[in-house]
Amino acid sequence: MTEMLKLSGVIAGYGAGDVLQGVDLRVGHGSVTCVVGPNGAGKSTVLRAVSGLLRPREGAIEFEGQDICGNPPAQILGLGVSQVPQADGLFGNLTVRENVLMGGYILRRDRGLVARRLAEVSELFPIVAERGDVRAGNLSGGQRRSVEFARVLMLDPGLVLLDEPSAGLDPKALKIVAETIKRMADAGKTLLIVEQNVRFGLRLATRGVVMESGRVLMHDDADAVLSNPEMTDLFFGGTPTTAPRHAAAGA
Amino acid sequence: MSAVLDRLGSPSLWRGVVAVAAVALIAYPVLYDDLFYQNMIILSLVFAIGAVGLNVIMGYGGYISLGQSAFIGLGAYTVGIATTKIGGDPFVWVPAAGVVAALFAALLGLIAMRTRGFAFVIITIAALFILQIVAINWDSLTNGTSGITPPLPRWDLDYQNWPFYYSLVVLLAASLALSWWIRRTKIGTGLLAIREDEDKAATIGIDTPVYKIIGFVASAVFLGMAGGIYGYYLAFIDPQGMFDIVISVQIILAVILGGRGTLWGPVLGAFLIESVNEYSNQELGGGNSRLLIFGGLLVLTILLLPKGIIPSVRDALERRARRGKAALVGARLADRRPLNGKPRVAPAQPPRTLLEVKGLEKSFQGVRAVAGGSFEVEEGTITGLIGPNGSGKTTVFNLIGGTMKPDAGEVWFDGRRIDRLSPWRRAYAGIGRTFQITRVFGGMTVLENVVAPLRSFSLAQLRAGAVSGEESARAERLLEFVGMAEYGDQPAQALSFGQRKLVELAQLMMLGPKLILLDEPAGGINPTLVARMADVIRELNEQGQTFLIVEHNMPLVLGLCDPILVLARGECICTGAPAEIQRDPRVLDAYLGEDFKLEEPVAAP
Repeated sequence: MTEMLKLSGVIAGYGAGDVLQGVDLRVGHGSVTCVVGPNGAGKSTVLRAVSGLLRPREGAIEFEGQDICGNPPAQILGLGVSQVPQADGLFGNLTVRENVLMGGYILRRDRGLVARRLAEVSELFPIVAERGDVRAGNLSGGQRRSVEFARVLMLDPGLVLLDEPSAGLDPKALKIVAETIKRMADAGKTLLIVEQNVRFGLRLATRGVVMESGRVLMHDDADAVLSNPEMTDLFFGGTPTTAPRHAAAGA
Repeated sequence: MSAVLDRLGSPSLWRGVVAVAAVALIAYPVLYDDLFYQNMIILSLVFAIGAVGLNVIMGYGGYISLGQSAFIGLGAYTVGIATTKIGGDPFVWVPAAGVVAALFAALLGLIAMRTRGFAFVIITIAALFILQIVAINWDSLTNGTSGITPPLPRWDLDYQNWPFYYSLVVLLAASLALSWWIRRTKIGTGLLAIREDEDKAATIGIDTPVYKIIGFVASAVFLGMAGGIYGYYLAFIDPQGMFDIVISVQIILAVILGGRGTLWGPVLGAFLIESVNEYSNQELGGGNSRLLIFGGLLVLTILLLPKGIIPSVRDALERRARRGKAALVGARLADRRPLNGKPRVAPAQPPRTLLEVKGLEKSFQGVRAVAGGSFEVEEGTITGLIGPNGSGKTTVFNLIGGTMKPDAGEVWFDGRRIDRLSPWRRAYAGIGRTFQITRVFGGMTVLENVVAPLRSFSLAQLRAGAVSGEESARAERLLEFVGMAEYGDQPAQALSFGQRKLVELAQLMMLGPKLILLDEPAGGINPTLVARMADVIRELNEQGQTFLIVEHNMPLVLGLCDPILVLARGECICTGAPAEIQRDPRVLDAYLGEDFKLEEPVAAP
């Protein structure tokens, strides 16, 4: 598998010191990589460094062989890296359709393309067509998540960054999100996921990464991470599992 | 150069700077008799008193008042009218000017502080203009547009403007002392909480209108006194000059330029603003050029130094000091110390209903979020509330906690009907809640966040120090409990999503409510920590604590909660023990899905 994204010795923080303290990470083409670890270990910070929202102090980030470290977010987005933010990222006062169209903002000059993408996205997420005129603020948590995914896919990105896709979802919605993620992976998207719902995330993933204290503690096949007794004891709770993944993301 | 920058970070250096500036200010008129600069300093002092006052309501409380010059005018007219109608030395009437300004602020506050956000700005401008119109038209009292001329000073000419100068220095010192004291009391924490998130502040027991009115009165009292002295100093009190909105704008600008929410920022801003004022008057002919300069200055400040001078410099120094050092970063959990407290001896019998919800209804734009929901929570239980996304769970929490008002239905708590009470009264009654999307107060430290909740309202309590020793010890124990002990003095905005949830939990436990409402406590939390949280909840429950928990983590809910209520489309469709719920076809259909299979429960007892 060829490398799509490569982080080497990334050091980054928010003014109160360094959160990432030398992160090395590789994401292969077509893989689904899931990052897990304790709260505040720097998982979301990795995503922010990749998407350009945070400028690393040291280290290198390469996307498709091109150095993107410290580049402006708009440029990284243009290269095909899209992020679904943690917590609520929708504009509550805009309608569902407006929110989704917002994801295609940088394509706005090519109306045909925007319309085509909107149609594709609506097919994958029926809510976009069904409740297009509803204010996003009136949607429930699971519905919002679907709209957020739909919005990100408007750019047809090569790499999708998902920050806690399972947060706030009921069991049925969780299943839908799992299927959607699998569908995105099947469609050839490379996914980098941060997830606190460890088992949910690792079962969707082909590769697993455990972070602690701003460093990568373990980087292996998702199954190996999931069944590792030490990791289970420290970070996953319960007992190690070797249960079959409920979404084999075309590895 | 680097060594110089390092020294800039030391607090003793800055204390020295303040001391030198204070001595220079006090000594100036004695050493130099230049009336031009004395005049400039006197005007700067008036601005500074206004800015330090405004900072209380605007910097701490987040409410911008465009009507501060109304207090200057009220103070000046009080002194002018009293000396001309009643007599006596104008200085004797200065305290009365403060009282009048404070009373007017309280009155205006009673009207304006019931509202939120922008309405306040509008009301303060309106008040300013109304006062100006009154001053113009009430000829018999104010002498209309001809204005009032207070008696000329009777002291020896050798003393120049000293009495004006030094009385204003004293007032500035008093304003600063008040601002410093407020920041260190519950009033200050309360105002900060209101600035950060007013809805949330109300749910942790902060009586928001009272705090805002106190803040507004504090912003007015010394400015009213300064206005009295200012009018006497100018020797002419007229409606245009005294109720001047440009002065209001300059006071706001001084606060923004120097640094909102800091003690010294407004003073620095005021002296800078007055310097610009004089420069444009002398060199550019004043008038419109002055307005142009202030407009430009406001734009530049907001573009280049959005936080103001002092916070920007402080942040830059802090960043420099921390460069290359590791931040506090999340690691594996340390061993937990057991909770203090004894298990409850005997269960309350017969079981008592703590919370009862009857026929609750709430619609948003015609969409029925809660449609006649009715259920009970018995004392001493951990009751689960589950249901699909959009079934109205969070709305039910908002209606119980008081963040929203129901369209119909009743909420009874502990034998009282509470659905018409304000959120803080419900907090005093014993209801505490967390939010699904965390709402910590970002601008406050973690420890300040945890000690912010108030269990009751009393005037005496307002004066209490923001963080008493006992409170701080308890807060630290709670932080340790949720694994966040090291983060106490970090600003809450630096925390990750999951960490904020933990701080909110500690904050809630500080409130010590009879009923704790948890909105998705496990969402975004590491599984080992979820297991610990389950232990904590179980342990607190053994001590008699009642919980109502909204959660989607089924292993957690099924392992922890009994009974479980199931909500769908705004109605309670079934209630029962975990085993029954898992098999109920209605629940499988609406929520769990037909093929639901439970993984191992979290931290089963």
